[in-house]
Order: sequence, then structure tokens, then C-alpha cells
Amino acid sequence: MYRKQVRRRRAVLFALVAVSLTFLSLYFQESSGGPLHRIQRVVATVLSPFEEGASRALKPAQDTVNWFSETFEAKGDNEELRDEVADLRDRLAQAETTLQQRQELEKLVAVTGGVVPPGQETVTGRVIGRSPTVWYSTVTIDQGTSAGVRVDDPVVAADGLAGKVTEATRGTSQVTLITDPNSSVTGRVLPGGSTGIVEPNVGDPRDLTLNFIQRGEEIEEGQLVVTAGFSAGDLGSLFPPGIPIGKVTESSLEEQQAYQRIHLRAFADLRDMDFVQVIVESGK
Amino acid sequence: MILTRPIIVRLVLLGLITAILEVSFFSGLRVFGSSPDGALLVVMSLGLLGGSLSGAVAGFGIGFVIDCLLLQTLGATSLSLMAVGYVAGRYREGFGRPTLGATALLGGVLTLLGVVAFAAIQVGLGVDADVSTIVIRDAFVTTIIGAALAPPVLWTVRRLLRPALIEDGPGAGGERRSPGVTPPAAATEPEI
Repeated sequence: MYRKQVRRRRAVLFALVAVSLTFLSLYFQESSGGPLHRIQRVVATVLSPFEEGASRALKPAQDTVNWFSETFEAKGDNEELRDEVADLRDRLAQAETTLQQRQELEKLVAVTGGVVPPGQETVTGRVIGRSPTVWYSTVTIDQGTSAGVRVDDPVVAADGLAGKVTEATRGTSQVTLITDPNSSVTGRVLPGGSTGIVEPNVGDPRDLTLNFIQRGEEIEEGQLVVTAGFSAGDLGSLFPPGIPIGKVTESSLEEQQAYQRIHLRAFADLRDMDFVQVIVESGK
Repeated sequence: MILTRPIIVRLVLLGLITAILEVSFFSGLRVFGSSPDGALLVVMSLGLLGGSLSGAVAGFGIGFVIDCLLLQTLGATSLSLMAVGYVAGRYREGFGRPTLGATALLGGVLTLLGVVAFAAIQVGLGVDADVSTIVIRDAFVTTIIGAALAPPVLWTVRRLLRPALIEDGPGAGGERRSPGVTPPAAATEPEI
């Protein structure tokens, strides 16, 4: 009886490991229209209303916890204000939630206002899910194909470029952020106009590098980097030109390399954004 | 764990709610710059209450739903959470019901195991990443948070599943027993 139980337990465990490894393997091999991707999209679509509801309902609680965390971190500098802050915490948490969302929306409109190309428009989405690890730099938003969102559409946060859509279901989309290992964007340094490829520094969510800048082009700390948005015939960048990406923090020139490497700090606070705008084609 | 239809419904609901809260609530919390891993602690609790098989199945299921909700590589979260659930269950089968201190210690150790397992899977999948100080700091803080949250999470899951638990069920008389039908052979139980 006991041996039978152990055999059954082993069989189930091996089956689960085998299924997981098969998922991993097949997921990489199949196209985005493959059966596993379809199953994933169905599950995500079915659960997305609950995900969105939980995200909205728990936002005040989340902000309150985060408020405590931030307050604790700043406690050393604000010891004398502790009592006063404690009295105001509930009202502050609610007020900050509303204010932060409003400011984020206003900044979003300001960022995308001047850069949306003709024939395109923006769709505002709320972030309803985030990858909990530093390995996947993705978020899930509450807008999908029904709102005109398609794979590869650019996504902009309140302070600058956020990333692009990499998966879309009817009601939700996965946004791969510019800090994801698979991300790369053509960037232009302002002023000056030097162009290069902006890539992430995996493991440090706010550090980006601008590679392939020609040697000899002078770039100083504090200069801005925006999307270059190149176009060559039918071939063009996914991102329209002029979206702020980040600010130069360090410029290094190594003797053996033909190109300069510039470190940037992303403008967008990608770990804490609540709203984004997706640039979609008009009339989709 | 005695699996009746109402208990299975509770387990499924617990798994779904855990996965939804993981991506929409826990991942947005910032405690010293890191996020607590609520799903991992629930899987650990199910392993500690139901044994290695329950832990592994819970880890697989919750991981699958998380991967679906985040539209990310299927199987990665399942594998790492399955390892956590299995190890928690083996602890329970080997050492019985954990004390408060042991629960906190397990919470920390298994959180670290989950983080390392997930990182190993990512590296295996070809993510080219440096082990930066931020990654190490994140793992350390998440581990500490895991240790702190493990006892209340285990308590909550135990309350939710109390009717199904052998040691808490009516007639058990408070006798300390391992999950499953294993008492006579527990001392000589072979490693799986």
C-alpha cells in the first residue's frame, strides 16, 4: 500500500516536471498563434476582469503599504514629523492615489501630445499586472485588441518611453518594457543628434546603455536621449521620433572599442507606473 | 489532506485568487525596494499542510496561472514553484508540523530557493544577465520578507483548509501525524 503510494507520487511528480519542461520547450518553438499561446490568451482573457478588479480594489491598500514602506525608509530624515504624518496617513494615502493618477494622466498626454504621427492615436491603459521578478520586465495593461492595440505598438509612460506591446488578447496586453533583455530602441542624443541603440542593463531596472555611438562625438552627462524614429523606405522604427527615453549619466570611451558606450537613466519610473498610453493606428 | 468536493473547490479558488493577487497586488508592493512573493508562500503553506505531492501540484497550478496572466513563458514559474511546494512537503513528511520559528526559517529558505530556481531557469532559457548587486539585494530582501510573512500566510491557509487537514480534523485528537497514510513507515520512508 505504502509503496503504491510512493510510486503514484513519483509518477505525478515526474509528469508535472515533464509537462513544465514540455511547456517551456514548445512555447519557444511555436509561433504566437500556436496552441500554447492560444491557451494562455484564453486563460488571461477569462481572468483579466478579476485581475483588473483586484488591481483597482486593492490599489488604496497597496498605496497604504507602499506609503508605510516609503515613510519607514525616510524615517531617519523625518523623525520630528512622524506623529504628524501618522495622523494624516489615511487621508494622504487616498489623496495621493487620486493626485498621482491625475498627474500621471496629464503627463502622459503631454508626452504623447507632440509625437503621435498622423494616422495614429493613443489609447490609455491602466497597469493591472506586473511581473514580480527582476527577470521579466513586463507589465499587463487593461487594453487589448478590442481597443485597437496590436503587437509591436509603442507604449509611453508619464515620463517617457516605456516599451512596446508583445502580446495582446481581447481585453489585455503584455507590454515588454525597455528594460527587458530583448529590448532595443534607436535613440538620438540631444542636442547633437548622435544616434545609437538603447539597450537595457539587465538586473538594474533604471540603467540603460546607448551603444554604437561613434568615437569622437562629444556627449556629456545630463544630455537628453529621445527616440530616433528612423525611416528608410518601407523599413522604419516601431517608435515615432521624439519620445523622451532618458538622461545621460555616464559616458565611457574604451581604447579597444570602435564605439562609445553611454549610460542612461530612464525617465519613466517603470516599476511604479499606473497608466500608460499605447500609440495605435487610427480607426483600428 | 482529505480531498472532498468542497475542499477541492476551495483549493482551486485559493490558487486562482493567489495568482491574481500575485500579479495585481503583491508585485506592486514595495518593501525596502522589493516585492513580497505571496504565491510562493501560499505554495509553501500547501506543501507544509498537504505534503510533497500537494505542494508540487499547487506550485504547478499557481505557476501556470501566473504565467498565463503575465503572458510570459509557460512553465518557468510552474517549475520554480513546484520545487518550493515539493521541498516544503518533504519537510512536513520528514519533520512533522513546523513550529513558528521553523515556519519563518522555511519561509526564508524556500523564498531564496524559489528566487534562485527562477533565476536558474531564466539563465537556462538564455537570458543574458549579470548577477548585479541589485539582483542580490532583491533576493536578500525578498528572503527576509518571506521569512516574516510565512507564519501569517501558513496560519491563513490552515484556517481556510482546516476541515481537510488530518491533524486539525475532528477525531484526530491533536495527534501529530504526517500528511497521507504514512505513520507506520514514516521513520523508514525512502527518499523520492
